Amino acid sequence: MTSTVDERLGGPVRKPPRKPKPAPTARGFSPLRALGMAVVWLFTALNVLVLYWLVMAAFKSPIEIFTKPFALPSYWIERGQAFRNLAYAWNNAGFGRAFVITVVLVAVSSVAIVLLAAPAAYALTRLGVRGANGLTNFVAIGMGIPFQTVVIPLFIGMAELDLTNNLFGLFLIYVALSLPFTVFLLTGFFRSLPDELEEAAAIDGASPARTFFTIMLPLARGGLITALILNAIGLWNETLLSIVFLNENANFTLARALFAFNSAASYQSEYGGLVAGVAIVVLPMLVLYVLLARRIITGLTLGAGK
Amino acid sequence: MATVSFAGTTRYYAGNPVPAVDGLDLEVADGEFLVLVGPSGCGKSTTLRMLAGLEGVDGGTIHIGERDVTDLPPKERDIAMVFQNYALYPHMTVGENIGFHLKIAKMAKSERESRVREAAALLGLTDYLDRKPAKLSGGQRQRVAMGRAIVRSPQVFCMDEPLSNLDAKLRVQTRTQIASLQRRLGVTTIYVTHDQVEAMTMGDRVAVLKDGLLQQCDTPIGLFGKPANLFVAGFIGSPAMNLIVGTVSGESAEVDGSAIPLTPAQRAALTSEAVVVGVRPEGWEIKAPGDGIPATVEVVEELGSDQYLYCSTSTSRVSVDGGAPEPIAVRAPGMSPWQRGEKLGLVPVPGAVHLFDAATGARLPD
Repeated sequence: MTSTVDERLGGPVRKPPRKPKPAPTARGFSPLRALGMAVVWLFTALNVLVLYWLVMAAFKSPIEIFTKPFALPSYWIERGQAFRNLAYAWNNAGFGRAFVITVVLVAVSSVAIVLLAAPAAYALTRLGVRGANGLTNFVAIGMGIPFQTVVIPLFIGMAELDLTNNLFGLFLIYVALSLPFTVFLLTGFFRSLPDELEEAAAIDGASPARTFFTIMLPLARGGLITALILNAIGLWNETLLSIVFLNENANFTLARALFAFNSAASYQSEYGGLVAGVAIVVLPMLVLYVLLARRIITGLTLGAGK
Repeated sequence: MATVSFAGTTRYYAGNPVPAVDGLDLEVADGEFLVLVGPSGCGKSTTLRMLAGLEGVDGGTIHIGERDVTDLPPKERDIAMVFQNYALYPHMTVGENIGFHLKIAKMAKSERESRVREAAALLGLTDYLDRKPAKLSGGQRQRVAMGRAIVRSPQVFCMDEPLSNLDAKLRVQTRTQIASLQRRLGVTTIYVTHDQVEAMTMGDRVAVLKDGLLQQCDTPIGLFGKPANLFVAGFIGSPAMNLIVGTVSGESAEVDGSAIPLTPAQRAALTSEAVVVGVRPEGWEIKAPGDGIPATVEVVEELGSDQYLYCSTSTSRVSVDGGAPEPIAVRAPGMSPWQRGEKLGLVPVPGAVHLFDAATGARLPD
């Protein structure tokens, strides 16, 4: 017999299980699953440990760093100078100026890269340009060339143009070297967007440029933000090119300044300050990633179709 | 408002020597609701997309009214389209979706808003104007897609299977709504579907396509009553028409011992001795065994108002879609006491017989 609503409301209160039973496929022990879990947790634990060590060491004295690597910091805190290492690194490594330079350079470069790569990727995937597939592959080849191999010819070329030891020159190099990857990333993204939206826009009377800016670009926002963040992280950490192309303190980026500070600080056994310097360079990107990780993952095409 | 005419319209796809649409000649009257129907791959969507300007035309022309639109881009054709998956802009609200064309056409904001509100009121969407498509149900999204078409007051509506993403009940409701809305607005409409029930219930006329070729274009009654060939006969109607192979002997066609008279004109039109006799499920008279074509009931489908008996016989039958020939379907009154395994005799009701040339598939003259 089927129970009516009244019977169910009046009857004994039914208690749902605290945790719904998993599907039969998910039950039971699987060696592969166990191994996978172990590897994932090990990897996570290792990363968290390194991060913990870094943050803690930034507040320790050199002796503490070597004798009690995983203990909480105490030496400087007891002396009321908790942030002494950070202040030391900031003042002695020239981080103040380098920080501003890096923020501006990374921001301008990342935005420029995405501004150039997005229309290129759109044209390669959506406009039905003749030979688009070949061109996409040609762009992708650029990813296969390690930039270290072109550093010397690049330096000679830039020297001819008088663009070495010049932030604008570095900006050009950053944009040029990041384009292949970004274009490739975005072609995948644009390809995944439904065709009908473009067709609907065409029937609504939108020009290709308008379709790109008002329909496709907002839909590809997730992809564009991903591209922006990946480039920002990559450029923020970029060291080799800045070492090769910048040789004046006034132009140093954070990574370059840290490199210079490294030699100075280890000479003075100022390991606390050195680690603090590393923390200053690393942490902003970590924060950026934590804040924007969800934006990277969430797609925006939801509701476009069925 | 305008007529639409296809003249020898042909479309090839890259890498395929067989055209997807082959020399289509079709005239659609002003304000008419024309349905394009056919199995998948028959070229119905391609035809619609050529009209919309989303697909190139390799041969022939397309006219909307007096204008040759064959090579015009979509925006200059003055048409609106409803897509199968609606293609709503997910980052815009319902109101922005409906008003997007008017915005591009640089209509003043106040007029645009009043037109959008008018269209929304017509479709019962007034309360949803500020929502994003993701927050709407399937039926509501479908209505937004309709609204986007209506608000433009175009010369032609193109609809590409707009109901196929709805559940069965909503599809029947929306079917009626779209048909009545179209009659009220009087806009020439080309509607693509693979569902022959939709085609029959909605269209003023229905064009049946197969393999890129127009098979027949007629009113639903004409299509049902006088199918032009075997394909249309088998495609229109559910359950499908029973197509039985007979042989000509003297003045009549012989089917499993039963004779069906042929007129002199029919005999003259035959190209061989083989004839196909078509009888719809409702075209049978059920007699006692020994009378007419002997048959055995295999399956009884009870629908309440009707009952369908699927019977095995010794006749050879034609299958239109290439699959195994199905058993003979017979309609009986609902709640009839037929049981599986019972024997009966089948006699076609006079006037319910369709005759086709077995070799060419063409209908014989009446």
